Amino acid sequence: MLDATDKNLLKTVADLEDLPQGAYNIRKDGKLLSRSTTANIDIEASEKQDGITVTIAPGTVNEAVHIPVILGKAGLHDVVYNKFIIGENSDVTIIAGCGIHCGGPEPEGHEGIHEFIVKKGAKIKYIEKHYAGGQGSGKRTLNPTTKVFLEENSKVEMELTQIGGVDEANRVNEAVLAAGSSLLVTERVMTDGNQKAVSRNKIILGGENSRSNMVSRSVIKGKSQQDFYATIVAKAKSFGHIECDAIIMDNGTNKTIPALRAEHPDAELSHEASIGKIAGDQLMKLMSMGMTYDEAVNIIIQGFLR
Amino acid sequence: MLELKDLVFSVNIKDEKNNDQKIDIIKGINFKFEKGKFYAITGPNGSGKTTLAKLIMGINRQTGGNIFFEDKDITELSITERAKLGISYSFQHPARFKGITFRDLLAISSQTDDEEKLLSIVRRMGICPLSFLDKPVDATLSGGEIKKIELATTIARNPKLAIYDEPDTGIDLWTIMPMVTLLKKEQKDKDTTTIVVSHNKSFFEVADTILILNGGNIVYKGNLEKALPILADFRICNFRPCKKGEKDARCYR
Repeated sequence: MLDATDKNLLKTVADLEDLPQGAYNIRKDGKLLSRSTTANIDIEASEKQDGITVTIAPGTVNEAVHIPVILGKAGLHDVVYNKFIIGENSDVTIIAGCGIHCGGPEPEGHEGIHEFIVKKGAKIKYIEKHYAGGQGSGKRTLNPTTKVFLEENSKVEMELTQIGGVDEANRVNEAVLAAGSSLLVTERVMTDGNQKAVSRNKIILGGENSRSNMVSRSVIKGKSQQDFYATIVAKAKSFGHIECDAIIMDNGTNKTIPALRAEHPDAELSHEASIGKIAGDQLMKLMSMGMTYDEAVNIIIQGFLR
Repeated sequence: MLELKDLVFSVNIKDEKNNDQKIDIIKGINFKFEKGKFYAITGPNGSGKTTLAKLIMGINRQTGGNIFFEDKDITELSITERAKLGISYSFQHPARFKGITFRDLLAISSQTDDEEKLLSIVRRMGICPLSFLDKPVDATLSGGEIKKIELATTIARNPKLAIYDEPDTGIDLWTIMPMVTLLKKEQKDKDTTTIVVSHNKSFFEVADTILILNGGNIVYKGNLEKALPILADFRICNFRPCKKGEKDARCYR
């Protein structure tokens, strides 16, 4: 059922050697490949549009859902709408990811629109990895959209990673936080060659004592381009922070625009942004421990994107 | 084991008229460091101590002269090559990383990622708590913590020549003596040739030889006793009246 290329992509984007345990939904070339549900986690096809609805029963703990997407069909542009309803006081991990294998000259792309409704007191960790490979010259596009609605006292941690090979990415992340909820977003993007990646983020701190931290780490190699926009709007007594760092390796370009908007006198918002080359003192330190220049660069980048 | 021959380091800066002006930071230093000895390099700010230390590691590139390490001319060797020959360097202002832990640095430095071996290195240091191992070496560390980590990664290489640039900066009073003892023990047990750049008398007291640098030259080499009057002289800026009176007084030191 899974061929060697599929397995390779699944390993890269979802750390899966084979079909996972527990609940999963694997989509290949725009169609369902395999699905499994558990007593607490239900997955069903959406009625209105192409995609799935994942419903996690209240109180579900220590369970994980894998929902990888793999593409290997020339010329396909797959659009999918997925919805996640996370029951009250549950604590689960959701592992998504999209791998493209491009073998020919035709373009291939995936647009995943993910909506999360995180009920009161629920906690989720969402891990999403994007990767494109293959020898073909076709343009590989990945345009993910993530919308998160956090109810009171819920917690969401999101790790969004674009590892490599994606020619064009337009990412949109939006979140609305109710009282006492918290959101941590860590985005890591590496681009090379003539690749282009744009990330637009909007976080609304709607409820009292909601808190959010948005961390972005960009590595820009070759002549690639990355633009990062992040806005935090505070509508209540809340805490928000944006931290965006970019390392430019060759002749890449980067634009970083963090924005803060306080609509409440007790809002506490901050941001820090930096763009630059790899720091000379870091290279010197590693070289003084016997590493070559190239080895030192690798270690610094790996750490930065960790 | 380490010989500096006519070592010169100059930089070009622009003067007021935008002309290139050559400034000598190290002005032709000749010195032989003997194997297994402990050297303390001191001198006023701006005398060239750090520059000299960096020249030995290859971080600064000399503009004249030669450096020999174990009778091999290393003048043109890179930092990496010098490190592989057994020279190790502890920075005055250690680099801070993102996403890299003390464990990562120690594993690179000691060339092992074996948990037990790493823990035994940290224990051998005695100055870093074991809990340091998974600390990220980033901006969250205090000045003292990062210096301890820097020292540990230098010692973990078991170098033939260890250079410490002001290892006591930011270190609390209660750690300075254990640090001196540690460096001395490494020197004795492993026959490590040790060079410490410092202003701290605790290091002078355990050194076999004190070198005093001033204005890019070695102005004294010898024991602590005879070094003290010279050091005392540096403590104050001696304004001496010139012929034209106080208006043109200059600081001679």
